Amino acid sequence: MNIPDDLKYTKDHEWARDEGNRVRVGITDYAQSELGDIVFVEFVATGTEVARGDSVGTVESVKAVSDIYAPLSGTIAEINDALEDSPELVNQDPYGKAWMVMIEMEDPAELDALMDAQTYDAYVAQEAK
Amino acid sequence: MKTPLFSEHTKLGARIVDFHGWEMPVWYSGIKAEHMATRQHCGIFDVSHMGEIYVRGTNSAALLNHVLTINVSPMQQGRVRYTFLLNESGGIIDDLTVYCIKPEEEYLLCVNASNAEPDFAWIDSHNQIQADIENASDKLALLALQGPDSAQILMQCLDFELDQMKYFNFRLVSTQAFGKLLISKTGYTGAGGVEIFLDQTFVNLLWQKFIAAGATPCGLGARDTLRLEMGYPLHGNDITESTTPLEANLSFAVDLKKEAFIGKKILEKQQQDGTARQLIGLVLLDKGVPRQGCPCLKNDQEVGFITSGSISPVLGKGIALCYLDRSVAQNDEIAIKVRDKQLKARVTRPPFVKGNVDK
Repeated sequence: MNIPDDLKYTKDHEWARDEGNRVRVGITDYAQSELGDIVFVEFVATGTEVARGDSVGTVESVKAVSDIYAPLSGTIAEINDALEDSPELVNQDPYGKAWMVMIEMEDPAELDALMDAQTYDAYVAQEAK
Repeated sequence: MKTPLFSEHTKLGARIVDFHGWEMPVWYSGIKAEHMATRQHCGIFDVSHMGEIYVRGTNSAALLNHVLTINVSPMQQGRVRYTFLLNESGGIIDDLTVYCIKPEEEYLLCVNASNAEPDFAWIDSHNQIQADIENASDKLALLALQGPDSAQILMQCLDFELDQMKYFNFRLVSTQAFGKLLISKTGYTGAGGVEIFLDQTFVNLLWQKFIAAGATPCGLGARDTLRLEMGYPLHGNDITESTTPLEANLSFAVDLKKEAFIGKKILEKQQQDGTARQLIGLVLLDKGVPRQGCPCLKNDQEVGFITSGSISPVLGKGIALCYLDRSVAQNDEIAIKVRDKQLKARVTRPPFVKGNVDK
């Protein structure tokens, strides 16, 4: 299970990367492996204001539909259109090419409140039991 | 419940799900990879959860002719046919294959896993003529070896010549290593290949041998997408006790010329009057995943609902089976409602992809 040290994590298995006043968001390696083959991805529109915990899109595997939740509040600055044509990237490169949305942060304290890699690792181990 | 291959599945790292009380592999490497392996090469599926019911004795054919929609009397030894058990209202209790082991003497029914016990009870309750019926589901294992490379793998593993056999025929083969095998040129994938019934004792060995020869282990996920691409119905989704074979466009497996069978009266009436709805296919024109239960709309009027849906790994598009009012015609463009969105879809008669079975 790949859990990069430089990212922050949510209990819903999103990751968040601090890129100054913006945060790049995707789903974790654990999430993609639990979902299986991703066949469809869609996001809310650029410019949408979201509160922490709001849905910013959905990922669909053959068997299930899952929401992607905003790890923190802000405005959707960019979405990764490439995933709409190549949803399989979510399985292949969840922390790289398959980033999902970029959020213009409102309050950096919300980022600090997310889990670090070590905490998330323990959380996944617990959940996988 | 577990099949005899459960430990093989966990050894291979399968994702296990509950399927009507059975702990079954949904995938090993991934549904799409397994799907494509079966279409292009060869997949091996553990379908030992399926039920097997033997009907034997001098009244065996008479009992089957009473409870099944086809006439088994003309079936020759080695023939397989697809058919239904109907209730009195013509609703489908189960869809199944019947194997003629010896005409008028011995038949094998292969039924859906979760229906095996109710099917057996239903047949038993109509067995006034006292044929000998046996639920052999706990004794027999079933492997499906599917895909264009199946013939070569069968030759390599069992020295068995598949090409000489016709579709929907079977052979009984005695082997040293695996006991008696019933090798049937049938399947639920449209990819060609066989289904093999055997004693549970030998199934682990045969499973391992097929994998060593190059067959890709495939789970129920790929089995579902493969059958959906062919438009094969799934009992519980596309056909149920409240749908009839005529509504489901499956009249090829119904013989209305047969003197009498359970449900015949209703089917005759439907044949005469037509049915208000039919089971048909959809190919999505928009991106998205059609799901079971999604409403179908034409000019904003609800005209039906989806019974099975997925993304076709071969087409890369959403495909679905649905019941639509007869007012909707083939090639019509309709909309389906997926959560809060409407997606465009074209009404199509399956199969959605070209199969690899000689009819």
